[in-house]
Amino acid sequence: MSPDAPTTEAPLFEARDLVKRFRSRGTVVQAVNGVSLRIPRGRTVGLVGESGSGKSTVARLALRLLDPTSGQVTFDGVDLLRASRGQMQALRRRMQIVFQDPLGSLNPRMRVLDAVGEPLAVHRIAKGSARVDRVVELLERVGLRSSDLYRFSHQFSGGQAQRIGIARALATDPDLIVCDEAVSALDVSVQAQMLNLLKRLQSELGLSYLFIAHDLNVVRYMADEVCVMYLGQIVERGDGDTLFADPRHPYTGMLVSALPEFAPERADGRARRAVPRGEPASPSSPPPGCRFHPRCPKAMQRCREEAPALHGVADGRAAACHLFDAGREASAR
Amino acid sequence: MIGYTLRRLGYGVVVMCLVTVFVFVIMRLVPGDAVSLQLQDTGVSKEAADALRGEFGLDDPVWVQLGEWLAGAVQGDLGTSFYNKEPVIDLFLARVPVTVQLGLLAMLVGTALGLTVGIIAAVTRGSVTDSALRVFAVAFLSVPNFVIALLLLTAFALWFAWSPPLVYAQPTEDFTSWAQQMAIPVFALGTGGMAAVARLTRSSMLESLGSDYIRTVRAKGVRERTVVLKHSLRNSTIAVLTLLGLELATVLGGTVIIERMFGLPGTGQLIYQAVLDRDYPVVVACTIFYAALFVITIILIDLLYALVDPRIRTGKALS
Amino acid sequence: MTEKLTLTGTRPVSPAPRPPRGAALRRGLKALRVFMRSQPLGAAALLLICFFVLVALLAPWISPFDPLEQFRRDILEPPSGTYPFGTDDLGRDVLSRTIHGARTSLIVGVTTTGVSLVLGTMIGVTSGYFGRGLDLVVQRVMDAVQAVPGIVLLLFIAVVLGPSVRNTIIALTVVITPSFNRIARAETLRVRQEPYVEAARATGARAPRILALHVLPNMLASVLTLGSLIFAGVIIAESALSFLGIGAPPPTPSWGLMLSEGVRYVERAPWLIIVPSVALSIAVFSFNLLGDALRDHLDPRLHRSATDRVTGLWWGRRMLSRLAPSLVRATEQNVSTGGAAGGAPRPSEPPR
Repeated sequence: MSPDAPTTEAPLFEARDLVKRFRSRGTVVQAVNGVSLRIPRGRTVGLVGESGSGKSTVARLALRLLDPTSGQVTFDGVDLLRASRGQMQALRRRMQIVFQDPLGSLNPRMRVLDAVGEPLAVHRIAKGSARVDRVVELLERVGLRSSDLYRFSHQFSGGQAQRIGIARALATDPDLIVCDEAVSALDVSVQAQMLNLLKRLQSELGLSYLFIAHDLNVVRYMADEVCVMYLGQIVERGDGDTLFADPRHPYTGMLVSALPEFAPERADGRARRAVPRGEPASPSSPPPGCRFHPRCPKAMQRCREEAPALHGVADGRAAACHLFDAGREASAR
Repeated sequence: MIGYTLRRLGYGVVVMCLVTVFVFVIMRLVPGDAVSLQLQDTGVSKEAADALRGEFGLDDPVWVQLGEWLAGAVQGDLGTSFYNKEPVIDLFLARVPVTVQLGLLAMLVGTALGLTVGIIAAVTRGSVTDSALRVFAVAFLSVPNFVIALLLLTAFALWFAWSPPLVYAQPTEDFTSWAQQMAIPVFALGTGGMAAVARLTRSSMLESLGSDYIRTVRAKGVRERTVVLKHSLRNSTIAVLTLLGLELATVLGGTVIIERMFGLPGTGQLIYQAVLDRDYPVVVACTIFYAALFVITIILIDLLYALVDPRIRTGKALS
Repeated sequence: MTEKLTLTGTRPVSPAPRPPRGAALRRGLKALRVFMRSQPLGAAALLLICFFVLVALLAPWISPFDPLEQFRRDILEPPSGTYPFGTDDLGRDVLSRTIHGARTSLIVGVTTTGVSLVLGTMIGVTSGYFGRGLDLVVQRVMDAVQAVPGIVLLLFIAVVLGPSVRNTIIALTVVITPSFNRIARAETLRVRQEPYVEAARATGARAPRILALHVLPNMLASVLTLGSLIFAGVIIAESALSFLGIGAPPPTPSWGLMLSEGVRYVERAPWLIIVPSVALSIAVFSFNLLGDALRDHLDPRLHRSATDRVTGLWWGRRMLSRLAPSLVRATEQNVSTGGAAGGAPRPSEPPR
């Protein structure tokens, strides 16, 4: 089944052809260029890419913290971009975000009670002792204690602060949580605890995640489906384990082979991929044709002229690369 | 760079227009005017007063007055004083030299003293000399310049039974008298700048003396004197120039009070008297002149920074 | 929306602890201790300010005479046991007038700084947070006010309104409000980009809530630092206006007025100049020193910057916008180091 084919169940979240351009002093930066995503209920979609690939912009577009230049975002069947203020406010209850910088995303002048209880106050869910009880419950659920209630963020470690961030995101009983590099700033040992916490919460509460990270291992561990982004576009999409075991797009290949502990254990025994050269082009002046071609070891003349579309390359897999055009008819349909 | 310059100039024009409107509106919003002040105790009839107002154009609406003033200003005509009926521009130009002398000398003295003190403090950092400086810098910044002037006056009067001459003499006519009269005002106005310059010089030199490139210069075996005076000090120039630009406003403000104290016929004295007399044309011209000087200084500072730091003019560093 | 597993009631909730009593006070005292230990000069300044405030508040009780009473037999008396600082040309006790002068300075200083702090912060925060056209218009108006050198604007307003303490306050407020506007705006622009503000927006919080709970508390430190420096400037400006004869009208006991009345008797009665000069300088000095120490305390790296000269009422645009961001960033760092210094080191993530 192609990922573009309609599924039987409507996804919780869907984005179509998101485009976001930023204008700054005469130059236009194309942060996101035609990204489509769908997140089924209770599942995790991962988004990987280098810094500057537009991952975080996608996160903000998904929650309408930014308005897209064009495209469509639907949440549980509601068009976010056409939602009224009231509707949007109601929807914000159901979609939350956990940020990269755990300490930075907590107001240094707020006690934990007020930080975690803020969504409860904003949406008038609980106040007074009911709010305190609810916050205590949230803290305990993420592995903190009720004695932390009146402490300030600077009294916590990064990992603990991120637990507070997660508790805050859970406060309104959301359906979708966007994790924007939520574990990137943490030590590796703490990362693992945090990932397990997120997994446990998912199974207990039936959450859906949009999980954004630059660390392939983390994304592979968390995500059911993985999307690889390069310069504002999704270049490959597929099931997490198979995507990394058998990358199709040269860029994914490059990311995988850059992983020291991952590359040697590749099971298929294929020769090591040539590692692409250079650094990503600036999103304000992307190269013509395929955006990856200046760095691609397999670039052809066609890559310089024509941008490849994302299309199915195997079961549940899609890639945006001219290399697979020949097999397109066969594998996609 | 040209684009940036034009943008800054445009900004200056906008601010100056606002200043002009602002001044005119306040002037006319308040009760009382030159005519009622002039005729206060003379018992002149209301009709005669109205006729006078008509003559001065005070009975026109504010925007008409504003428009006429602007039209005149473009041609170099800043109006006529209500009092002695002289063109404002002449009154003004007659007094500019004194203020310029006073301001320039004060800034020169302040900068020279400040640089010296600052360099000494930087070179002797950590010593008693240095820590004494910090307290003295704040102390000097804290004594208002008119108080310094008063204290100096008192000291000279008590200890030397001397006080400066009260009538201003042109330096070309009677240099001794001029120097005697200017000495205290110049010093009083210069101290604030001195303290500020000293502090700034010290800290920016300390910063550069600890930097990698100075270490490289030292490693090459350059004499310490050269390191300090040539390499380190040069690095502080921009900061000090900025400070001096900002200091200009303080010094100009100070001239108002100091000129009055010492009977110096400068623009500060002119504006003070004009404000007391509600001599609108003079007040407007002086205020706008002072504001223009300040805006031009700010723009020059901005351009200076842009020249040094290319990120500023493309707007990438400062949001 | 189908009712799914809701959080409440899924697991036992342990009883919530009571909020610690007087926590805010204790934290305040602790911050004060940390400040006084790291900035001895600042501590000295605080003591001086306490003294100044006490003198001003208790003026009617501690001054030996009525500041307006004229002892016609004792005109221009030099300092003596009866009149520790002598008498002026009307036979008034200089010490009593100086003590009451502190009162005038304090009234003008507190009112002006307070009103312009609140006003300027409100304008700056609103303008900075909502940005766009509003910001453009408001900031150009503020630029225009700031472009007129303070003393000229003060002269203008004070003369136009007439000499009185109230009018001095009004004039000074107009002149000073833009300074607070500027720092508040710069701080708002900085705080607005903090992740916790984005987090609040993601939660659905609206502007008033974000401004009140997130932006304002996090810019308070730099606004108060500026407040201390501005206070010093206000005291100077008040005395300057009184000195020029357009501030407090005679016979108000005001330091500036005392100076202008004494200037005629420089040779015969130098105490008329020296006493108010010293009082004025010490008051200004202590507020400057406090502001200076606060700035150093909040940002130990920041010793440079041309803002050294903020005692004046004019502040460079560029300098200020550069100063402001580092100020509060340092506040946060200081709060955390202060916390760590006082208590145990941060607990590490418990193993599980």
